[in-house]
Amino acid sequence: MSDVDITEAVAVLRDEVLDTVEHGDRDPPGAEVFDAVLRALTVGGESVPGLDLALHEAVSRRLAWGDNEEVVLADAEMVFDRLVVAVERAFRDPADQMVVIEAATLVAVTVTRVVSLAAVARASRDRAARLREEMAQRQLKEVLEKQKANIVRLEGELKSSDFQ
Amino acid sequence: MNQVTPTPPTGIRVAGDTNVGKVRDTNEDSLILEPARGLYAVLDGMGGANAGDIASQTARDAIRDFVIQKRLAFSPKQLLEAAILAGSRAVFESAQANRERHGMGTTCVAVLVVDKSHVIVGHVGDSRCYLLRGGRLQTLTRDHTIVEELVDRGLLAADEAERHPYKNVLSRNLGSRPDTKVDLLELELKPGDRLLLCSDGLYGYASAEGIQYILGSGDEPQHVARDLIELALRGGGGDNVTTIILEAPAAPPSTTQLVRTNGAMAWWQKRQTFLIVAKDRGLTRNPIVRGLDPKDALDVVALSLCQAVFHDLEKSTGVNVWTFAQNLASGWFERGGEWSAVRSMMDILGTASRAVVDEIKVADGKLGFLLDVAVSRALVVAELALGGLLAERLRQVDTDLIQLHTAMHETVDAPTDDTLDTGERFVDRPTIPFLRPDRPVTGAGVTAEVIDGITKTITIARARTSPRAELVKEVLTALDAIASEGSGNFATAVLSARELYGVRSVDEQGIMPLFDALDQARIVIASAVHQIQTTESNRAKVLRALSVAHQRLVSAMTGLVLEAVAPFSERLREIQQTTSDLRDEVASAERRRAELERRFATNIDPSLPWGSRGTTEW
Repeated sequence: MSDVDITEAVAVLRDEVLDTVEHGDRDPPGAEVFDAVLRALTVGGESVPGLDLALHEAVSRRLAWGDNEEVVLADAEMVFDRLVVAVERAFRDPADQMVVIEAATLVAVTVTRVVSLAAVARASRDRAARLREEMAQRQLKEVLEKQKANIVRLEGELKSSDFQ
Repeated sequence: MNQVTPTPPTGIRVAGDTNVGKVRDTNEDSLILEPARGLYAVLDGMGGANAGDIASQTARDAIRDFVIQKRLAFSPKQLLEAAILAGSRAVFESAQANRERHGMGTTCVAVLVVDKSHVIVGHVGDSRCYLLRGGRLQTLTRDHTIVEELVDRGLLAADEAERHPYKNVLSRNLGSRPDTKVDLLELELKPGDRLLLCSDGLYGYASAEGIQYILGSGDEPQHVARDLIELALRGGGGDNVTTIILEAPAAPPSTTQLVRTNGAMAWWQKRQTFLIVAKDRGLTRNPIVRGLDPKDALDVVALSLCQAVFHDLEKSTGVNVWTFAQNLASGWFERGGEWSAVRSMMDILGTASRAVVDEIKVADGKLGFLLDVAVSRALVVAELALGGLLAERLRQVDTDLIQLHTAMHETVDAPTDDTLDTGERFVDRPTIPFLRPDRPVTGAGVTAEVIDGITKTITIARARTSPRAELVKEVLTALDAIASEGSGNFATAVLSARELYGVRSVDEQGIMPLFDALDQARIVIASAVHQIQTTESNRAKVLRALSVAHQRLVSAMTGLVLEAVAPFSERLREIQQTTSDLRDEVASAERRRAELERRFATNIDPSLPWGSRGTTEW
């Protein structure tokens, strides 16, 4: 294994992996995934809780800004694919390649876990919202029944008053 | 009085300054700047009849002498504590010997530098030590005042302490008793940290924000020490003010900075090597530069790429190389040129780049390695640009072929059974909803050697998995199938994911065991791959194949989860629509009822205003 900091060396690949040329000054899609890979390389070994928290926040932010889960997942997949290709080309030492690939896989699994959790949580919220809607519908139907009865009564009274 | 010390051997830069202030006649503050011993201190004396300055000076001399004489007899922490106590005894004895000096004392905040990243802070009284780290200012010392003690014991609220009449009365000092308690703190300095030692004449007349701003300005320590005093003077300068700044050495430049500066320059200086290698490899005979003078050919192609790489290295971007490759290839393709010429040209440029990097690597191994990565990236960017052009051409060919195929069907093989036409062909539907159109759907495949490595890795991984972890074993089997298949597409992954998913509840209890098993499989594989008997290069290929398979599997699994939760949203949307329709109906009925009520009221008494009869029921 080389004596150079692999994190720094992978950071050099940022433009290529995130295709910053294509996106100009905008934050490129998948930046949070690439940053997570760098974090995973920095801490080394297994640090799933920390990685989960940081990624969860980044993914939640994207979902809150209107990106759906499919888009987040597609970006993560793109970053993984490009990083694996770039690393094979850029690192001559297979040991270095393996370190980066392991980190990238860790992040890939974590992203999918976070996205799945977000989707499941959304489903729970949808279920609760559906219950609320059903209750509201019951109340609306009761009101409608009363209104219809009132209308019938008023129409009857109106007919009799016209007659008078 | 401004005192600047020479840089001590530790690399820590230090400067100190003191000022009498705008109100007082004498300066009762003293400071120690002893770079040879790594000792720095601020002392703030007190006591009538000029005793304050005598107290601080007596303590200063005693502390300094103690450290010089006894530095080898104690550990650093004990040395600083003993020195401050020696200062206290000296002041006490001086006060005892002279009636006029009775009651004199002094505060002391001192720093003893152990090495470039390790210091001891000791203090007694209300002189303070601040640390500026990462732009954030924090107080390292706690004032020894009566009020602070009361706050510590919970007898006084923090906001009451601000207004307390005894807020400046010290609970500890040097000199009132022969011995006192010294608070000590060991601190590890990080690159760029700044320590500030100061008397209350600074923080009593300058805001914390102002101190933070000046301390974090990045100015030289001697300017910072002077500017902080100026800040206190502008705030009133009601007391003597003394400051000492210690600055830890800055961090060495990051590798990215190294590539941007030294790397880019080294690359540009070796451009002649690049041109020579490019010429030797036959760049001037390439069909793309046919008709050009050899020197012009080298200037137009090789030197341009050299320049593009240089600018991209400088700015950590890839835009110049991208543009170079686009211009080179698109012009050639427009003239009807062949792909092989571009490929050959890129190979020559790649070889020349490697030669330059190897030369740099001989001179500076670390820089050479970083440059190797950065230049490889630049070449990959060029390849991506070429790939984009090629893909564009292939898409055009694809479109032409489809049109041709459709035309053939319409004329020769018209459909006889209309019921078979569902209106949507299978190829129009994506296998996975989030599969991007620009994503490669097939890979280069895997060699027999890699497949052998995959099988061995999975066997070891299975052996290392607990017999009860059935789900993990199923994941390993799935990964074996996906990785060995080697196409890199989603088809096998989706099938495997469906098998693993089975029937599950759509909640955390249902979904999380799957992802736990996937994560467990990842960990076991990462460990097992290092145990197979093969070359390091082949091992990397095996890990790569399994990691790609893993990524495909988890993505497909998440796709299934998203597919499972989708109906919840759809049902919610449907029911929301029904609620909305009901609301409209209720609103319409309400309008109708109001209209009837109005008519009814008018019939009874035409003078009644609109809507004055009846009540709204909801």
